[in-house]
Amino acid sequence: MSGDSLYLDPQIRDWVLFPITLVMILVGILRNNVTQLLVSSPKKSTRSATREQRALLRAQILRANAKSSPLPPSYYTAHTDDLIAAFAAGRYLKEDPSRPNEVDEHGNRIAPAPGNMLTDPSMMEGMMGGMKNQAVMMVPQMVIMGWINFFFQGFVLIKLPFPLTLGFKSMMQRGIETPDMDVRWVSSLSWYFLNWFGLNGLYRLLLGDGNAATDQKDLATSPFAGAGAPVMNQPQDYNKLFASESENLQLAQGLYSWIGDDVDSRILRRYGKLPVA
Amino acid sequence: MAQPTLTLSSALSDLSTARVRAHRDSNEIVRKGLFVLEQKNGLKALGGDIWDFLEQLTIAALDIGQVELADDCIARLEVQFPKSPRVDVLRGMRIEAKDLGLALEYYEHTLENDETNVAIWKRLIAVLRQQNKTERCVKELVTFLDTFYSDLEGWLELADLYASLNLYTRSLQALSHALLLAPQNPFHALRFAETAYTANDIPLALRYYLRTIELIDSEEDGKETGRRAWFGVKLCTSHLSRTPNLPSESNTLPVQGKNLAALEVLATERLSAAYSSTANTKPDGKVPGRKEVLKWLGQ
Repeated sequence: MSGDSLYLDPQIRDWVLFPITLVMILVGILRNNVTQLLVSSPKKSTRSATREQRALLRAQILRANAKSSPLPPSYYTAHTDDLIAAFAAGRYLKEDPSRPNEVDEHGNRIAPAPGNMLTDPSMMEGMMGGMKNQAVMMVPQMVIMGWINFFFQGFVLIKLPFPLTLGFKSMMQRGIETPDMDVRWVSSLSWYFLNWFGLNGLYRLLLGDGNAATDQKDLATSPFAGAGAPVMNQPQDYNKLFASESENLQLAQGLYSWIGDDVDSRILRRYGKLPVA
Repeated sequence: MAQPTLTLSSALSDLSTARVRAHRDSNEIVRKGLFVLEQKNGLKALGGDIWDFLEQLTIAALDIGQVELADDCIARLEVQFPKSPRVDVLRGMRIEAKDLGLALEYYEHTLENDETNVAIWKRLIAVLRQQNKTERCVKELVTFLDTFYSDLEGWLELADLYASLNLYTRSLQALSHALLLAPQNPFHALRFAETAYTANDIPLALRYYLRTIELIDSEEDGKETGRRAWFGVKLCTSHLSRTPNLPSESNTLPVQGKNLAALEVLATERLSAAYSSTANTKPDGKVPGRKEVLKWLGQ
């Protein structure tokens, strides 16, 4: 039997529903501002580091138009061979005075394997930044959860306008153990969770895209996973990247064709001197 | 020539168009900029654009030698943005107006602190070019482009530099990078064609003149660019029809016989049409150069 006509004290609405929502919105905005203050300015990189990053771009630009390339064959081949040789010889790898590049049997430089996270100082900073962000996210959540648990435990807040299956009972009615109350009645803790997932859109409206109030990664890490391992971008392994780019270049060379090859026929056709093929 | 009277709104909109399209009509910019500054509510009307406007005015003032005006603008910008790299560049340009050697030192010093500052690096290269320190300029520019490959302006500058030294093959190589970065731009194709022609690689030049024409959408848009390209086509086709086996450094296959003749005829046609008496733009009905062109075309 579904009790669908519970009468709720309007004071619950005034004193619990709106405050929880309001507090969450404000805390989200606060988190956004605090994160912006805490974020360290992007590190200045050296010329060789920038060069290494952009080397792949160079090959991609060359490959992009291979089928109707603006370059005549001799130029295209020269560029491709140049780049492949440079990738193989490791000429684009950045020079790091603290970790000189190893040299393989042909005298080509090899990129160092992505270093241990704790020993490389630049990666350490990246990790600290990530952990700082997560701390800022987690602390307010813990506090608010504790507050709700303490003050608002044991009653239902709101009836959802849409029906749900019984599976959602544990999620929607945290803290209220009744065997057959309709799942549409939501307890305060569950209302907190609902808000937490749903305010993303509101933040984007208020704070613009790219705000730090909610982060997609956080959905996985807290509060459900607790203190999981920080999710980090693995530092790029340039050896492999350059090797795969060399292969791509060779493939593209197979596809190559010069756009100037029959430009004469095309122009003549455009001006009606040749019949349209 | 009487200049149209300015209104605040027209001046502001002209200035912002010039900013967006990177026009460097410095006399006009200074005239309009001073007008805006003299209006009572000029600065307020600019709103948030005021800093961009000051930057634009600084560069224009330095262009035409109004150094005090530039100083004034830079001072205002410095107050607002104390440690800004952009203001550093403006300050460097101001030093360039007085003493190139000092400017060079200033840029070198700034680069020591931050070696990937693109704007300062480019100014350094510009100063080296002004001082005619060609060898060093080329070296710096090549290093710059090695790091910042996608800087189109840089490749064009390098091509210009090589061409001024008569190193046409290298100039073509630099232009080839420019073509990769902006493959649909007819101006670069035209430049490639003209450099190839100067380097005596006629078959290559012909193909790129044709490519230029192909890239120009409509006759109205690129009327002048199209005309240059048709001139190029006419020159190349007449060379090729007289000496069929011209050497080509890039081993380009020349356009073959029937097409070649057809292209020559087409080029003649289009040029006659361009210079015809109905295609004039002057109010007195005369088409400048018509007689000479028609004579050259052999008609």
